[in-house]
Amino acid sequence: MFNHLRPFIAAAGLASLAACGGSSSPTSVTSTSTTHGTLAENPPLRIASLTATDFQATLAANATAAPLLQLTGNPTCGVDFYYLKFWTVGGAGETTESSGAMMVPTGAAPTCSGPRPIVLYAHGTNTDKTLNIADITNASNTEGVLIATAFAAQGYIVVAPNYAGYDISTLGYHPYLNAVQQSGEMIDILAAARTALPGTLSAATSDSGKLFITGYSQGGHVAMATQRALIAANLPVTAAAPMSGPYALEAFGDTIFFGGVPIGATLFAPLLSTSYQKAYGNIYSTPSDLYAAPYATGIETLLPSDTPYQTLFATGALPESAVFDVTTPTATDTGGNATLAAALGVPPTFLLPASASTPVFQAGFGSPFLINNSYRVAYGADALQNPDPALLGTGVTRAAAPPSQPLRLAFYTNDLRTGWAPNSPTLLCGGDADPTVFFQVNTQVMQLYWSTLPEGLVTVLDVNGTPAGDFALLQGAFQAQNALPSASNPSGGTAFQGYLAFYTSTAGGSLPLAQAEAAAELAVIEGTHSAEAPFCTEAAYQFFTTILNAGG
Amino acid sequence: MTQSTTRTALTVLPAILALGVAASATAADAVPANDIRLGLYSVFYHSSADDLQGPYVPAGVNLNAENLETLYIGYVRRLSPHFLAELALAIPPEAKVDGRGPATLGSVPYNGQVISSARWLAPTAFVEYNFFDEGTKFRPFIGLGINYTTFYDRNTTAAGDAANGGPTKLSLTSSVGPAATLGFHYKIDQHWGFNASYSGSRVNTRLVADTAGEQRTTSIRFNPYALVVSVGYAF
Repeated sequence: MFNHLRPFIAAAGLASLAACGGSSSPTSVTSTSTTHGTLAENPPLRIASLTATDFQATLAANATAAPLLQLTGNPTCGVDFYYLKFWTVGGAGETTESSGAMMVPTGAAPTCSGPRPIVLYAHGTNTDKTLNIADITNASNTEGVLIATAFAAQGYIVVAPNYAGYDISTLGYHPYLNAVQQSGEMIDILAAARTALPGTLSAATSDSGKLFITGYSQGGHVAMATQRALIAANLPVTAAAPMSGPYALEAFGDTIFFGGVPIGATLFAPLLSTSYQKAYGNIYSTPSDLYAAPYATGIETLLPSDTPYQTLFATGALPESAVFDVTTPTATDTGGNATLAAALGVPPTFLLPASASTPVFQAGFGSPFLINNSYRVAYGADALQNPDPALLGTGVTRAAAPPSQPLRLAFYTNDLRTGWAPNSPTLLCGGDADPTVFFQVNTQVMQLYWSTLPEGLVTVLDVNGTPAGDFALLQGAFQAQNALPSASNPSGGTAFQGYLAFYTSTAGGSLPLAQAEAAAELAVIEGTHSAEAPFCTEAAYQFFTTILNAGG
Repeated sequence: MTQSTTRTALTVLPAILALGVAASATAADAVPANDIRLGLYSVFYHSSADDLQGPYVPAGVNLNAENLETLYIGYVRRLSPHFLAELALAIPPEAKVDGRGPATLGSVPYNGQVISSARWLAPTAFVEYNFFDEGTKFRPFIGLGINYTTFYDRNTTAAGDAANGGPTKLSLTSSVGPAATLGFHYKIDQHWGFNASYSGSRVNTRLVADTAGEQRTTSIRFNPYALVVSVGYAF
């Protein structure tokens, strides 16, 4: 009676068999190991693939990217953009997944496939927690566009982490300027990239074994720390080009606490204090030891953030520029130490005499302010008692003994003057008018620190210096864009002229000329650190390529 | 498709037929009760899909199912002088899906590229009402039924992998939907007959494409229409 049901039962059985046993095309393999340096998804996702022609067209069509082509020249190679996921460790040894980019040159030109060198790149400070430097489809990923254009489109395999604490990483904070963690993460993504490359859609390009290291700003510090770590591990570095980085962190930290407040300091402070608190646990007992009342609550999870930093300023989550109390500590606050009180005054002070930087420093003082005077006093007392010789012009090393103030000790620990030196050509590029990462207390201190090395091992390039030598064209181009008006150059660079035209226009408020000039000058100064990046990056490309062509 | 929905569908199928069984049990006659049919199954998709959603997918990336032909296998059971039950099956065909949307994704060709294929198993059960008397040579019919579709052998092509950004695992939910048919049966002799029908059914699926752990999804409405011409043997 139920015989007629058989076909249905059979069909249903067949269907379920098919559903269970049906083969599907292979996909990537998720690693079960979480050991640092392990590629988490193999092969990784290719986010985009662009031919040289298409990449050029994309750049040329974008108003902010188009000028870059003037600097780098047109792409020689196509670029495949891979999104790497890999395992690394956080600032306190926590296992965490991180992510980053692998940009692979492709195409018929001889420099675009076969064995190619790797550029290991470290990005600059970014408050955007969703940052994914591999995502070339995201218009705000300007640093990704820069390195793709300067390096990958010219035949270098670019490998760059997003850093723990960003994107998919669930670490909960970012180990900002933690030299051990950040260099470790660079080496981890390099290992992951070397695992990934042969299995990608761009396997016609392979690793030649030549390794170049570079990075900008925060990434300059990371790049130099990575160079140091690879040398310590006896691993070859073909050449390195740290750019505009805070290498001499103790000298830089002392400069800041003595009132030399850089542009961007209210963003750097929470990133730094949280990073070091997580790693060392002694920066404060509670954030309010360090941070003033309006800001202490929630400061440890504030950055990096999904909220743009402009919004954080606008909503009062952070002050825009006032790091320190405009009412500076008195001799009473310093326990009768008048010298310390004077050193902690609003510049100019005896430590920071009047200069072109004085207005920038002064903007670091206000009310409401970010950091308590009591913390400043403790830091300053340590810095006067156990000074950084570089700051006083009496030497080039770190303090004679490890500092006793915990934050200063953290700076000392992550300062890169630790008795090592590059063993392959190294270019330190920056600009001497940088108001964000001071050239004098970082790049020039490292230059002096390594002044006894063989001639030509360490090269310093000041994009703001008098054009001369191998990079004269780049120096000239930087200054044509970024020069402030001066007696010899009354109209200033193109950036100044652009801002001036804006501030005198209706959209810019139709300011009177004198006010518009002041506003334009300020805008150029505020943009200087970012403006150096493409010029230094192109200098790094030229530096690496010269070495590569000479047989590296 | 969840397990439970599938199970529901499979319970509904016999239930529909049980009605027919009741009918056939009361109809005692000498007319052949079974009819096995073989023929051509020509499937025309009027597919529509939502634009693909997911990480790094630009706007306007869509899909299109290619039409196909395969072998039809049918089993028809007489329930009463006017009612027949049909189980329509097919040799599982390879259904191809084309990219539709931008000409390229980055520099990777997309629009019109065959990006994936899957085989489907799609039994459809109909209850059909036949017009005219049973002895008539030419009998038109109309029917309603239910379709169950499941996909297997899901593969992306090299072009699909290039567009997706790497080897990609596809999953498609199974579908249960109503079906309708109309056609005619032409009796050649006591055993042999010729049949033609045109039917449509609702086949909806949710596609998940997993590339290196990144999932892109869309809902596809295949809207298949099938022309079947077949020869049957009744016994």
